[in-house]
Amino acid sequence: MLQLPVGIGIIALLAASPAIAEIARVKTSSGAAIVERGSQRLRPAPGLQVEMGDRLVTGKNGRMSLTFIDDTRFAVGPNSRVAVSEFQYDRVRRKGAMVTKIDRGSLAVVSGRIAKSSRDAMKVRTPNTLLGVRGTKFIVEVPQ
Amino acid sequence: MMRLATVAAAFLTAGCATSSLVLLPDDEGHQGSLAVIEANGRPTEAVISAGNSRTKLGDPTPASRPLGTKGLRKTEAALLTGLPPPAKSFSLYFDEGTVHLVPESAPVLAALRDEIAARSGPEVEVIGHTDTVGSDDDNDILSARRAEEVLNWLVAQGLDRSQMSAVGRGERELKQATADNVANAANRTVEVIVR
Repeated sequence: MLQLPVGIGIIALLAASPAIAEIARVKTSSGAAIVERGSQRLRPAPGLQVEMGDRLVTGKNGRMSLTFIDDTRFAVGPNSRVAVSEFQYDRVRRKGAMVTKIDRGSLAVVSGRIAKSSRDAMKVRTPNTLLGVRGTKFIVEVPQ
Repeated sequence: MMRLATVAAAFLTAGCATSSLVLLPDDEGHQGSLAVIEANGRPTEAVISAGNSRTKLGDPTPASRPLGTKGLRKTEAALLTGLPPPAKSFSLYFDEGTVHLVPESAPVLAALRDEIAARSGPEVEVIGHTDTVGSDDDNDILSARRAEEVLNWLVAQGLDRSQMSAVGRGERELKQATADNVANAANRTVEVIVR
């Protein structure tokens, strides 16, 4: 909160800004893959802006990859259901927090600035475990 | 909901189909770790830190096994192949007090354009900076103009403006720390991050 005055100054200087709500962008997708936003079902075309709370859902041969604004990278495997339930990131201070929920399927992750910003700032929740990410690359698999 | 998840988790643990983790070194070869904050609803102190290992999740004291000679499963290797490329950063430099690039930055600009064009669904963050010559307010404006100059050039090269954002940070984040009112070529820069 101490940074607020600086933050306002920077917002005022934005020349061309993407939607404030953007947290990630879809890079690739194939097969049966959809981004669910509330009751909307969005086709994950390259460049689609992902927002907090969106659910990444894939079918039998579906895949999706995305990069977050803090440089975190995801690859979602087939038969998956993954949601980014919390995401905050300050582009100026390069700090933030995020929680990813994996209900089923598989997810490869390369952590970014958020995981570096403070201990366990990046969390991953599976049906039976809550993980705190301390800067690394990993795969989580949750069978159906 | 919580109870349901716990019951489901206990069910999974009983069978062979339980959540699992593969921990790998990052692309630079550094080995990070993962803390198991909770297992089956109970807090734990466990940390998984063995690189190239496989761990079943759900146990408060999880045992990791090395991937060994079998290595990754096909499905795991395919997932890693599907990861997007890492973000790439470019630095462009400017003549003092202007939005004119120094000649050495021209090839960097071309490399930047090619990098963006080669990526699927790119996101481009353009961040302008100045040295400490002049007032804070003037430098906020100059840094934003430098960032816009780069953005406009990329748009003129046929790139989609909606992929890009530009911001000016004035003299707040000096690459080389200096006193006020010091001309410094390294600080007259625009950083571009391509994701």
